[in-house]
Amino acid sequence: MRFVSFRSASSVLATTALLLVATAPSQAQTRAETLRYVTGASVNTLDPNIPGSTRESFALSMSTYDRLVAFGRKQLNGKWVFDLDKITGELAESYVVSPDGLKLTFRLRKDAKFQDGSPVTAEDVKWSLDRCVTAPILGKAQLLTGSLTSADQFKVIDPLTIEVTLPKPDKLALPNLATVYPLIINSKVAKEHATPEDPWATAWLKEHTAGSGAYVIESFKPGEQVIIKRNEDWNRGSPDKPAFFKRVIVQSVPEPATRANLVERGDADLVVDLQASDVQSLEAKGKLKVISTPQYNSITFVSMNNQIPPFDNVNVRRAVAFALPYEDMFKAALFGRGAPLFGATWPDGKPLNGIYPFQAPVKTDLDKAREYLKAAGLPEGFSTTFSFNVGQASTAEPMAALVKESLAKIGIKVDIQKLPDAQMSTQINEKKLPLFTEGIVAWLPSTDYFYRNFYTGNQRWNYSSINNPELATIAQEARFEPDKAKYEEAGRKLNAIHFSEMPQIPLWQPNQDAVMASSIEGYTYEFHRQVDYRDVSRK
Amino acid sequence: MTGFGATVVRAGRRLLSSLPALFGVLVFTFLLMRVLPGDPAVFFASGPNAGKEEIEQIRKQMGLDKSVPEQLVFYLSDIGRGNLGRSMMTGQPVLKDLRERLPASLELTFTALLIALIAAVPLGVVAALKPGSLVDHGVRLFCALGVCVPTFVSGLLLIYVFYYLLGLAPDPTGRIDVFTSLPPQRTGFLSIDFLLAGDIEGWWATCKQLILPALSMALFVIAPLARITRASMLVSLGSDFVRTARSVGLSWQKVVVTYALRNAILPVITIAGIVFSTMLGANVLVEKVFSWPGVASYALDALLSSDYAPVQGFVLLMAGIFVLVNLVVDICYGIADPRVSIG
Repeated sequence: MRFVSFRSASSVLATTALLLVATAPSQAQTRAETLRYVTGASVNTLDPNIPGSTRESFALSMSTYDRLVAFGRKQLNGKWVFDLDKITGELAESYVVSPDGLKLTFRLRKDAKFQDGSPVTAEDVKWSLDRCVTAPILGKAQLLTGSLTSADQFKVIDPLTIEVTLPKPDKLALPNLATVYPLIINSKVAKEHATPEDPWATAWLKEHTAGSGAYVIESFKPGEQVIIKRNEDWNRGSPDKPAFFKRVIVQSVPEPATRANLVERGDADLVVDLQASDVQSLEAKGKLKVISTPQYNSITFVSMNNQIPPFDNVNVRRAVAFALPYEDMFKAALFGRGAPLFGATWPDGKPLNGIYPFQAPVKTDLDKAREYLKAAGLPEGFSTTFSFNVGQASTAEPMAALVKESLAKIGIKVDIQKLPDAQMSTQINEKKLPLFTEGIVAWLPSTDYFYRNFYTGNQRWNYSSINNPELATIAQEARFEPDKAKYEEAGRKLNAIHFSEMPQIPLWQPNQDAVMASSIEGYTYEFHRQVDYRDVSRK
Repeated sequence: MTGFGATVVRAGRRLLSSLPALFGVLVFTFLLMRVLPGDPAVFFASGPNAGKEEIEQIRKQMGLDKSVPEQLVFYLSDIGRGNLGRSMMTGQPVLKDLRERLPASLELTFTALLIALIAAVPLGVVAALKPGSLVDHGVRLFCALGVCVPTFVSGLLLIYVFYYLLGLAPDPTGRIDVFTSLPPQRTGFLSIDFLLAGDIEGWWATCKQLILPALSMALFVIAPLARITRASMLVSLGSDFVRTARSVGLSWQKVVVTYALRNAILPVITIAGIVFSTMLGANVLVEKVFSWPGVASYALDALLSSDYAPVQGFVLLMAGIFVLVNLVVDICYGIADPRVSIG
């Protein structure tokens, strides 16, 4: 009860009175009903669709807005993670996919209300989805990956039914509607704040919410903290009840050591972005609950620019792949906290399955690396740079030193470049870096999605600038492949091409280490790599 | 009254003559930001699906699609209308961000400077009274320790001892315990606002929150202040008027405090002014360690993400504060030594 000790009786009375006025039926809240979540970054917009929005903004919007559908959850090695294959209704009470896969019909809940009390109608859903594919916002590019591109595809059938038509049976259409961006907005309220230059009210929604979500914004200080309070009428969660915590405080604490101290002292309830070393020592002390989930939709890799010499030569890329000191890097960067993507054995030299990311049969083998260098016509080696961004320095810096040391053994002289984040993004976008490390995340981790987004086209996310027509064709076709066996086969082919071309070297999937008070329950690893406050409760 | 009038005129003249300098700072920062490598549009379009179109859109939103001279003209006309632009990081107008964050930084820096002065001036005086003695060496050692330990190290150490081990200090995040309700905002200085609202508990909570960050900043600047005090006290103690004052049998206290110290304080005021300005900008590490919502950590974040508007706004603010501090130092001179204000 540290909470009370800070105040005199009179100020408690005053606060209570204030709270009574502000939230009529609710009583003064105790510490137990409040979740204090500390994070390194900050919520910078209340609409996650705004370019530049942070992951914290994504997580917040999951609680302040509802979507039509949501991901279910499943257990992976005894830990709860989101389930891409189980889509449940959120604002939709039920949905039907037509046999040809071209029509999705959503039946809305009768009792769903926006936070201002007005009912959620199909008109609101249409306006919100129209906004997502029309307005110049982030949702547009995301929904494109599920063949949702035009407002004509959304049709109001009756006040509680909305129909979505697809040009092709796209498996990612439905899961796309469960991601962060297609939030359902109270269109009446939003329209009131729209202007001729800003018909979709993007400016207003950046600082205000008009949703039907489990939580209402109580105060919003960008860069500092957001306080949200429970929406008592909300019943869209899986157990059909309002969220557990009456209040959630999302606070920015930039210093990782301080975040660790706060959670260890019991002043903060939950934190996900600690340094691996701190997590390890907290886990060893055993007072707190530590849930480590490999981020199964993310990959850290070393990328090589397949268009710049000498990395345009596949043998050079293979030489690097066999010269990296994987085990040491994994220990130095992550203290081994994650799932390695190296060191596999492929008995007949073929991929074990069609799932991406896959564990590749690479390990440190300097002799093999030297052979490949010789085959590339560079037996003496060459000089290059290895870049990483400042934001990832805590893991990338020790990694870079090891890369430099190990590559020097086969004659590759490496200059380490530590770049400010904006500069790194610029250089990646302009395809200027020969050798660097980066991490990627896919919200909808299916094999074709990874290959299409990260290994094709002349776009930013094709880090290695690989241009392989066969890979591009297979990935494109796999997208609309309804037959599971054929899809699996396509995945195997893609993985085989990846290994033989070695455009970049997947290293590992880092753990998401969630450290929390032992009384916190229900934590689930979510696709946006933040905590969904609706998941957690206190014992 | 004539003395006061002269001070005002002098202050006005000083302010006017600093305008060209401010303008120079404005243009220089603007150009510097454009020369730095790193494209903010690419950085901010970092969502999983942000492609060329999004980058272009952000570029347009930030006005980067225009040529640099054009941008400069727009920027200057915006400044003229009191608009510092919008931060991409927080999504707020820069002016609003700075207005909200400046009091936090000022409150912290003032407190730190106060602690530093309270500690440094007596230390310097004591050291000067017996130069070469054990006390003098002790002060020197203390100053050396303070200045050679970086503020983030002393900050983390203080947190470790007083928060983590002893549990005496409140959690080192922000200006106030997250569960305390804020007083109505009048000055933006929480400690003053709480007093104005008559909330003593709240005031005490803010003070407790202030102590550790202010202390770790103060430790760093005690050294220059104490050294200057010592040096100028030595000069002043060895001067004719002190010898005269002693010889006429004035009390020790009167000689040291009224005659020697008053004459020795001028350089200390100068240094305090400079120290204050540097601290305000340089306390970024303390602000980071204590999650203090101040302007320095804001500017650093902006710089790392090449968010032009906040960095430019911050530099302008700092330049303005520097001008003001110099002015205040001048006025303090006048008070400490009336001869200065003549002419």
